[in-house]
Amino acid sequence: MNLKFDVSEGIRRTLEIPDDEKIYYSVPSDVGVHGKWSDDRLCVVTKEHVCVVAEGKLIRKLPLAQCEQTKAEVSVGGGMLVTRYNGEQTLITRYSAKHRVRYSYIARGMNILSSGRDEEVISKEYETMCPVCHRAIPGTKECPHCSKKGGFWHDFFQLLRPYAFSVIGIMFLMIGAAIVTLLNPEIQKHLVDDVLSKANGDIKTALLCLVGMFLLGAGIVVINVLKSYFCTLLGARIAKDMRERLFIKIQTLSLQFINDRRPGELMNRVVADTGAIREFMQNTFCNLFTVAFIFAWDVIFMVVLNWKLAICSFICVPIGVWMTLKFRHSIHRRFHLQQKKDDDVSSNLQDVISGMRVVKTYGKEQKEKDKFNMLADDFCVINYRNERFWALFNPTIKFIMSAGIFLVVLFGGMDVLNEKMTAGALLQFVTYTTLLYQYLEWMTGMPREFTKLVACMERINDVLSQEPFTPDIENPLVHDIEGEIEFKHATFGYKSYQPVLEDINLKVKKGEMIGIVGPSGAGKSTLINLLMRLYEIDDGELFVDGLPIGDMKSDYYHNQLGVVLQETFLFTGTILSNIRFAKPDASYEEVVRAAKLANAHDFITRMPDGYNTYVGEKGFTLSGGERQRIAIARAILKEPRILILDEATASLDTESEFMIQQALERLTEGRTTFAIAHRLSTLKNADRLLVIDGHKIAEIGSHEELIAQKGIYYNLVKAQLEMQETA
Amino acid sequence: MQNNILEIKNAKFEKTQGGFITLSYNGVFYERVKIIRLFPFTDPDRYLSVRDGNENEIGVIEDLKKLPEETAALIKAQLELYYFTPVIEKIIGIKDEYGYAYFHVMTDRGECKFTINMGANAVSKLTETRLLITDLDGNRFEIPDVLALTVKEQRKLDLFL
Repeated sequence: MNLKFDVSEGIRRTLEIPDDEKIYYSVPSDVGVHGKWSDDRLCVVTKEHVCVVAEGKLIRKLPLAQCEQTKAEVSVGGGMLVTRYNGEQTLITRYSAKHRVRYSYIARGMNILSSGRDEEVISKEYETMCPVCHRAIPGTKECPHCSKKGGFWHDFFQLLRPYAFSVIGIMFLMIGAAIVTLLNPEIQKHLVDDVLSKANGDIKTALLCLVGMFLLGAGIVVINVLKSYFCTLLGARIAKDMRERLFIKIQTLSLQFINDRRPGELMNRVVADTGAIREFMQNTFCNLFTVAFIFAWDVIFMVVLNWKLAICSFICVPIGVWMTLKFRHSIHRRFHLQQKKDDDVSSNLQDVISGMRVVKTYGKEQKEKDKFNMLADDFCVINYRNERFWALFNPTIKFIMSAGIFLVVLFGGMDVLNEKMTAGALLQFVTYTTLLYQYLEWMTGMPREFTKLVACMERINDVLSQEPFTPDIENPLVHDIEGEIEFKHATFGYKSYQPVLEDINLKVKKGEMIGIVGPSGAGKSTLINLLMRLYEIDDGELFVDGLPIGDMKSDYYHNQLGVVLQETFLFTGTILSNIRFAKPDASYEEVVRAAKLANAHDFITRMPDGYNTYVGEKGFTLSGGERQRIAIARAILKEPRILILDEATASLDTESEFMIQQALERLTEGRTTFAIAHRLSTLKNADRLLVIDGHKIAEIGSHEELIAQKGIYYNLVKAQLEMQETA
Repeated sequence: MQNNILEIKNAKFEKTQGGFITLSYNGVFYERVKIIRLFPFTDPDRYLSVRDGNENEIGVIEDLKKLPEETAALIKAQLELYYFTPVIEKIIGIKDEYGYAYFHVMTDRGECKFTINMGANAVSKLTETRLLITDLDGNRFEIPDVLALTVKEQRKLDLFL
């Protein structure tokens, strides 16, 4: 993202800074006084100052040395850059959401400059709008409209290149189909002229013509079958290869990339977009050359045969095409609206059905009925209107397009009567004309098919062209973890303008158990996500055994982590395969031992299929506590060096909690452990407790130390004890 | 539990050099307070929550109109600072292309252009005739009454209703 908009010479002069003072950042501030849109305000950060220029005049200039704790605060629909200037909170400038991300970087940059350092922050985030053509950029690095490398055809041929052999074969078939289609009218002409219209037409010529027509007819069927077969095969192969490439790619991408996209969008790219390419190959590509070839030769033949009649047949086509183009927008609008109303109906239905218990208990059936009826009525009206429109429009257009045929028959018939033209030639001409109309309609749909394909290919290429997440550095360290961990000034946020953790400093000794507590949303899970190396730290460092986490070979590192999360995810398969997920080559003895340690062995053996019991999607047949114990067994099996427990015992009944508690105690022995818990009793074995509040480490120390401090932890403990007493 | 109403007679708001406001309330001094609307759409000038630097509620102002004029002006200025939802008064043009719609509108805060993603839920209906449009960057635009627009403008909007 651009953090350095142009600063004109004139504006630079108004800043009144020495010539050698470097400009670090300059970003428009698009909301001015009284909250009006403004396009002539600029916020400029130099080595020493932060300045705001409006309408060519300097309206604010603060020396950075007196600014502290600069923040890009998020407000509703916008944001403001705030700093502590000479100890007082001061508003520097405002902006709309458009520049929110930029200002978060600027705030970070200003804090660096204020502290006397001079590094420059660079934003790796993508622009949402193309600065050149002002079109939206669909989550890609470059604007697909402006950065066309060789354009659509380049991409398309790139796509087909690995399949060149079958593509060439298909092309021959397509041309063959075209030739055969075009030959048919020629033979018909002979049949009419040489046999039917002559009194003495001989049967031999007639048979010859018929045999020719039969062979051509049969030929066309054979060619079309082969063509469809190969096209389908090609489409399926391309789609399959694409899916594989996408899937492999998605697994290498950062969670950030995946979280940034709407749920289902990536799934759509893998399933729907590749499917659309397959469909295009099957339905459109298959006929592309045939139609183009036939169309071209058809026009040439017609002009050569009789240019006057050719003009007659073309005369109405422009009107038809013009009408189609004219109505295209309105048609799109109509059907889009219909789809939208359809969506409304189904989402309402989904809402009500999944919330049926609430609706019934509050007795709101009548209200819901009325609401649904209204939506259904709306949809019905639109649907009816659209169908009526389509029923009128489509035949009308077809009729207008092909109205030329009447002129052809009229003038051609006159020529035949005046003996300027043979009847056979007229028949041939009429056949060519109908052929032309037939394909014309198909051709008007082409642009839409192509735009659809372009969009799909863009979305697929967007994923394929992403840089994989934290590619291991060259010669990454293959390191057996001891378990010493250190956070140094670590700062991180999922969205760059909203830091979740700020300036975390923490040193954990080998084998220590750290309990993490704090309100929801404070950043507990985020801390763990960083440790699990699922995200990269924005600022600061994270060391494991004194080595930067980024230098380690990531899969080797992950293999030494054991993780038990609150929501246990079991894959579709057997209990055995789920426990073995972490270590596929584990022996039966190892699996049973792990299950025993996890207090899972007993309930597994009580099931009819033992360890081979099949657990369905998400393991629905098991209770929460049982699933949790399987997850613990999975973690134990790996003999992890670092253990991470994220609310592992939340939402369980007391008995299962006890069983799990026991299992966890065995598991945490001698391992560096991070455990998040709401129920403080779970953390009674923790060596140290970490209270995270307000994005920072608020308190740290042993249970006794924190109680003595009488801070946040003390209050939490008190509150939970009171709750137990009242319960 | 009682609603925590701010007793105006014990509260003293003051403007700071930095552009924010401070509050002295029941003997406590708050360096910077934020004002949050509890019902930003249905009742923007009533039930305003006054919050301290840690986002804890100090109290709720029931009605802006019942405040002394000076205080009301101070608070209004803060609300203006924290809320930025331009109201669309006139639709100059909407163009849709490849799943994005490009709006060109006149708002109560001046003319502007913005872009929405048609696939996402960019347009939400607050009521049958009241729309909230969220653009690609997260800016929000309000149309308080669709029916107040001209028929021509309404047709341009049709696609999003």
